Amino acid sequence: MATVYLQALISGLLIGGVFSLISVGLTLTFGVMKIKNFGHGDFLIIGMYFAFFCYTLLGIDPYLAAAMGVPLFFGVGWVMQKFLIRPVLYAPETIKILVTVGISLCIQNIAVFFFSPDFQTVQVAYGSSTIEFFGARISLSRLAATGLAIVIVIALYQFLMHSRTGRAIRACAEDGDGARAVGIDVDRIYMIALGISTVCVCLAGAMMTPFFYISPTVGLSFTLTAFVVVVLGGLGNLKGALVGGLIIGVVESFGEILMPEPALKQVATFAIFTLILLFRPNGLFGTKLT
Amino acid sequence: MYSRPKISFTIYAVALLVLLSLPIYSESNFIVALMPDGLSGSALLHVGILIFMFAYLGSSWNILGGFAGQLSLGHAAFFGIGAYTSSLLYVHFGLTPWVGMIAGAGLAAIVGYGLGFVSYKYGLKGPFFALVTIAFAEILRLLFLYFDFTGGPLGLLIPLTSEYSFWEYQFREKEPYYYIALGLMIFGIVISAIVSTSKFGYYLRAIRESEDAAEAVGIHSMRYKMHAVALSAAMTALGGTFYAQYTQYIVPDDVIKIALSIEIILFAVIGGSGLVMGPIIGTFLLVPVGEMSRVIFGGGGSGASLVALINENMPGGEKLAKYIDYLSSGGGGGLAILLYGVILIVVCLILPRGILPALNKLGAKMGQRDE
Repeated sequence: MATVYLQALISGLLIGGVFSLISVGLTLTFGVMKIKNFGHGDFLIIGMYFAFFCYTLLGIDPYLAAAMGVPLFFGVGWVMQKFLIRPVLYAPETIKILVTVGISLCIQNIAVFFFSPDFQTVQVAYGSSTIEFFGARISLSRLAATGLAIVIVIALYQFLMHSRTGRAIRACAEDGDGARAVGIDVDRIYMIALGISTVCVCLAGAMMTPFFYISPTVGLSFTLTAFVVVVLGGLGNLKGALVGGLIIGVVESFGEILMPEPALKQVATFAIFTLILLFRPNGLFGTKLT
Repeated sequence: MYSRPKISFTIYAVALLVLLSLPIYSESNFIVALMPDGLSGSALLHVGILIFMFAYLGSSWNILGGFAGQLSLGHAAFFGIGAYTSSLLYVHFGLTPWVGMIAGAGLAAIVGYGLGFVSYKYGLKGPFFALVTIAFAEILRLLFLYFDFTGGPLGLLIPLTSEYSFWEYQFREKEPYYYIALGLMIFGIVISAIVSTSKFGYYLRAIRESEDAAEAVGIHSMRYKMHAVALSAAMTALGGTFYAQYTQYIVPDDVIKIALSIEIILFAVIGGSGLVMGPIIGTFLLVPVGEMSRVIFGGGGSGASLVALINENMPGGEKLAKYIDYLSSGGGGGLAILLYGVILIVVCLILPRGILPALNKLGAKMGQRDE
């Protein structure tokens, strides 16, 4: 029995790191420009399909593809911010949300049109190899994905804390007008912020392909998961997103064995989500970006 | 300016007459000649039914999302409650859906009060209310998939009676459904108009503009927001019963999916949320565009497999030609929704109040020129 729980804990942590990376992107845009991106999860499939085509057409390993795709992913976020988000930045909340809903519909259905609604998989040689750990099995590809995800989150944190651009981003999160007053090009910082956000989520998507199916609508459930993590960790809180992602990974994984049916695991997640929203709206770790 | 209401009233009256008489002429040579190849007048009625249903659902959503400014992205939950309540009562107890739909609406209202109470008690606003509505709808979908009494993932088939009858809410032809849907839409417009001009409606709009200001002048904002959730939920549930009776088959992944919640608000927002006729105009403009795109570009999903195409052993140029063939026959589908998405973004960017106010402005300008 202990092995089952150990296995659940490990599986949870192994997907949790990926959740963290996805959520960090959402929390960054949340903290910096107060945009609640309801299309965030749909950016995931950009990374997924990129890795899929790199692998099937050119035989490039998904992890290498992920690294190669970074400029493209960043560009997507940059362009979205410039042409779609910036014009509504000061519009009523509902309009801001609906623009991101529109972006979500577009990404999903562009994928449906060009790549068909079929499920695709990337079958790499090491996809199903595992190592033993006290009787529990650890999937190598999941371990790699989660390990890399956590490294990327930490690197991003260092970047925000210590680089010049990072400081400017934090200044904008703190007070957009104040940042403008001291000469920061706020519009440019916002484009960088959404660019970084899409890079995070697309990297997560690409790195997931060895063990996760690809379909145009797969992003939706990740949008919800990312919101759960972000609310749990504190809106706009980077560390909170890292820890929150791991927590939600473990919660889902335990939900899978404790609920009467594995499919009900998300009921546990959403229940926690609602409770946090109601009773601790600032999350477990507060709402500061750092 | 003063002539404007009269003009739009005339337009709406003529439109209603056309809609009322459409089924009589749906098989006439004139209509059939206008229809795209291979489609009969009954396809036209089907599109009409879709339009009326979504216009009605948009109106129902509009009371909460438009008038009160509470963005719900989980209205499919209430739709599903309506569809399942009336259908389960019919399947297990033989209760006519006409009564069952009242039960469904009542249940949806109670659930709506509950959801509103919990959300507003703890001060959830804007995006957080939206997130809770999504989470609520998803939980409901997962539970309906899990439980046996709902039929689970297999869905619920509504047994056909030996003879189609009004009492059983079952008909062989499309015409009765067409008129019921039209009736629902008019019901939605009437309720919206009553709400819009009532004290309740003014309270809701005051809450939308500024909740603090509304509270300051003595409006019990939480109470009225809860009324709005309940009314909106109950109306949406009636639409769910209609859908169940029209398709005779419901399944959680169809009636409680997020995509449905999004579709409900899409037309309302594009038409103009917070206005009585906004959702109606939005639906009448968009659904035909979407359906036309399906006819022109094909529904897609030709069955061609992308992976098979990639792995096929042929020169790259030939592959590309095959892929372009695949795209020109509609690709994998999705063009209609893609179009809606683009229109939603464009409307948000340039007409944030919706299409109807813009049309009104245009009409007023033209009216002035005439005088």
